Amino acid sequence: MMDFIGQSYGFFRSDPLSSFIGMFVVFFSVLTVIYSIGFMRGKKGLVRYYIYILLTIAASLGVVFANHLIVLMIFWGVLGLLLYLLIGFGENERVSYTAKKTFIIIGGTDAFMLLGAAFIWYLSGTFDMDKLSIALDNKIAVYAYLCLAVGAFAKAGAMPFHSWVPDTAEDAPTPVTAFLPASLDKLLGIYFLARISLDVFQMNGAMNVFLMVVGSVTIVAAVMMALIQHDFKRLLGYHAVSQVGYMVLGIGTGNPIGIAGGLFHMLNHAIYKSCLFFSGGAVEKKAGTTDLEKLGGLVKVMPVTFMTFFVASLSISGVPPFNGFASKWMVYQGVIESGKSGGHLWIVWLIAAMLGSALTLASFMKLIHAIFLGQPSRERKITDERIQETGLTMLAPSIVLAALCIAFGIFAYSGPLKAFIFPAVQGVVFSGVWQAGLATVLILIGIVLGLVIYLLGSAAKTREAEVFMGGEILKDIPDMRISGAEFYNTVQDIGVLKFMYRLAQEKAFDIYEVGTKVTFGFNKVLRSLHNGVLSTYLSWCLLGMIVLFWILLG
Amino acid sequence: MIYLMYVLMFGFLLTAVIGLLASWIDRKVTARVQYRVGPPLMQPLTDIIKLLGKETLVPVGASKTAFLLAPLVGLASVILVSTLLWLNNINPKESFIGDLIVVVYLLTIPSVSIIMGGFASRNPLASLGASREMKLILGYELPFLLAILVPVIKSGLSIRLGDMLTAQMQNGVFIGSWSGFLAWLVVIFCMQAKLGLVPFDVAEAETEIAGGAIIEYSGPGLAVFRLMKNMLLFTLPFFVMILFMGGLRFDGIHFLYGVLKYVGLVALITVIRNTNPRVRIDQAVRWFWGPMTMMAIAAVLLAIWGR
Repeated sequence: MMDFIGQSYGFFRSDPLSSFIGMFVVFFSVLTVIYSIGFMRGKKGLVRYYIYILLTIAASLGVVFANHLIVLMIFWGVLGLLLYLLIGFGENERVSYTAKKTFIIIGGTDAFMLLGAAFIWYLSGTFDMDKLSIALDNKIAVYAYLCLAVGAFAKAGAMPFHSWVPDTAEDAPTPVTAFLPASLDKLLGIYFLARISLDVFQMNGAMNVFLMVVGSVTIVAAVMMALIQHDFKRLLGYHAVSQVGYMVLGIGTGNPIGIAGGLFHMLNHAIYKSCLFFSGGAVEKKAGTTDLEKLGGLVKVMPVTFMTFFVASLSISGVPPFNGFASKWMVYQGVIESGKSGGHLWIVWLIAAMLGSALTLASFMKLIHAIFLGQPSRERKITDERIQETGLTMLAPSIVLAALCIAFGIFAYSGPLKAFIFPAVQGVVFSGVWQAGLATVLILIGIVLGLVIYLLGSAAKTREAEVFMGGEILKDIPDMRISGAEFYNTVQDIGVLKFMYRLAQEKAFDIYEVGTKVTFGFNKVLRSLHNGVLSTYLSWCLLGMIVLFWILLG
Repeated sequence: MIYLMYVLMFGFLLTAVIGLLASWIDRKVTARVQYRVGPPLMQPLTDIIKLLGKETLVPVGASKTAFLLAPLVGLASVILVSTLLWLNNINPKESFIGDLIVVVYLLTIPSVSIIMGGFASRNPLASLGASREMKLILGYELPFLLAILVPVIKSGLSIRLGDMLTAQMQNGVFIGSWSGFLAWLVVIFCMQAKLGLVPFDVAEAETEIAGGAIIEYSGPGLAVFRLMKNMLLFTLPFFVMILFMGGLRFDGIHFLYGVLKYVGLVALITVIRNTNPRVRIDQAVRWFWGPMTMMAIAAVLLAIWGR
């Protein structure tokens, strides 16, 4: 393994960064395949499905280890096509629209990347990434960087190229969502962003600020959208967008601790988001719906799924001592460090990131209430309260990932950071303090203390009782049920948020919808010229001829 | 092993004793304001012991584990935070367990535990109360985060609590400056909301949703929640003291000042809670996102300015 790192093989090359990402690409692929065995059972076209999955693994490894820009872009393009094909396995009637939208956004940004590669050739005359180190001191270099960054943003799902992620999350089969937008696309998109920001180009202050703006806006805007969703897969999709913000922000800080935090967050995100989608998929499989209004009270039916979902929810919300906290904490330090070199904008980035974390917590509290806790819906398909977990192939991946959420949080320093991140990012210095292992031990001591208090009391012997509703009986008045889907309606109506939410409902922030409108707008203008009246066409011809003669002979 | 002693002595025992005392002060003052005699000194402790003897009821259909585990997690996090604050305050030179960001995150766990407990109760009133608690967190978190940046800026962009205490020992307490004072005011309001006291007791609102998130709790579960809230009555003001008022010092007269600062803060909390009506949740969120955030931004700008 060690001999493998740092070697060059023709168009390919491996270094600590690409090796660790390649390793996790394979890890998530294995889990997805295991999960698919359970989830996709009985679906049509399974042979094609697994072939596409295997091709995706191969193409992803190609992207990670490619050293030649054009080779990288070929694999990148293949990945876009495979994503399109895999989304097609969804069973929703909107799925063809979603697949087309995804393909257009990814394909369109791929075109930008090609343009960026052309600029790089113009500037340096080589496509080998390890030989490049371009200073961002002229316009062409800046354009080249932006073009390549756009590709990375679209792949990872950063704003404003995010709108395919929530749609895909809602319509594609759950393993596909867990596999591509939630884990692999994040790993690859952020890998490419890190690669161009750390190696191919020499970043300057202005470009770092640009990255931090993109990161902060993505964090807050996407999580605000997540708050109001009614479909849990779509809600998770918006979080897949929001979390990219932390990674972009981390890389944008430009100092080792921030970059290491961003990369660590990328890894952690892939872990907990796959876990969330896997657990959510189990609920979908059993309950037959992803609509929050039609679920509720599943904790007794699916206790293991609840545990994995809960652990992953706490991780993504950044609750210590789970892994999401460890990486967010490093990103925050990076942001504060960036303030030491002058400027006061770090305050804005820090507040956006930390508030985003509270909003994430809020939307996951809503999810947990609406799916697992709270009162069951009358429309819930599972009516009895026996334990009905899904099969082992669907449970095992979630359990493994939930265990990793805990392990990577508690042993962050001695485990993943030391093994994967620090070799890739040199010179990380912590300015804060977080002794995760000790803190966990102390929390456990605290829980034991609480247990002692319980045992001093009567908690060992419990009695079941109907819920207290001031004398009313809950079963007789089903209207009293609170699903949780409408928890944040009060927040939605406050001041400027109301206006922003209305714009978002009209899809004013969706680059695909806006692009469609602009394109069809042109169409409208051009179409009005084609009105079928011969004399109009003749007069246009005449006008054209006059112009041509005037230009050519004048 | 030494850490076990820290946790038991400082994090749990000392914090609980002071918290129960503070709770007594709070109840006594409230009673005097309302022309009542008020409870005897041991009443808060007696209440908890009495609750331990009561039956533990679990709502039908609720997950017993989630329902009974929620209070324990809340209590454990308060114990951890207070251990951390005590040790950082006793020896500011040496950093222990966590920094400012860690404390801010750990301080949301008690609220999360109340929310989880409410959700696990399967009671619509509890769901309602818990969702209000969550919205309240969203509300106060923005001004709170802004306000605690003032000590960060003033101590030269350090997020270690020890550095903040050292900076205040050398250059005077942060509350003495304009920015520090404004930020302190904001934090006082946020603290009131974090403690779930009037005017921000929307999550429990006894007269309206009958205890809200904790409506189904009885016996030991309720006792642990009560103990957690009483301990927070020490932990949160102590945190504010460390950030803005120079913390607690143990040399001679300074120790007395420290005690006075703490009693003053508890008195302030009590006065606010006795002179205000309960606000609606949307009013609370508007209040925190409007005037409080403006004030916090002003404090941050002043701090950058150096005032």
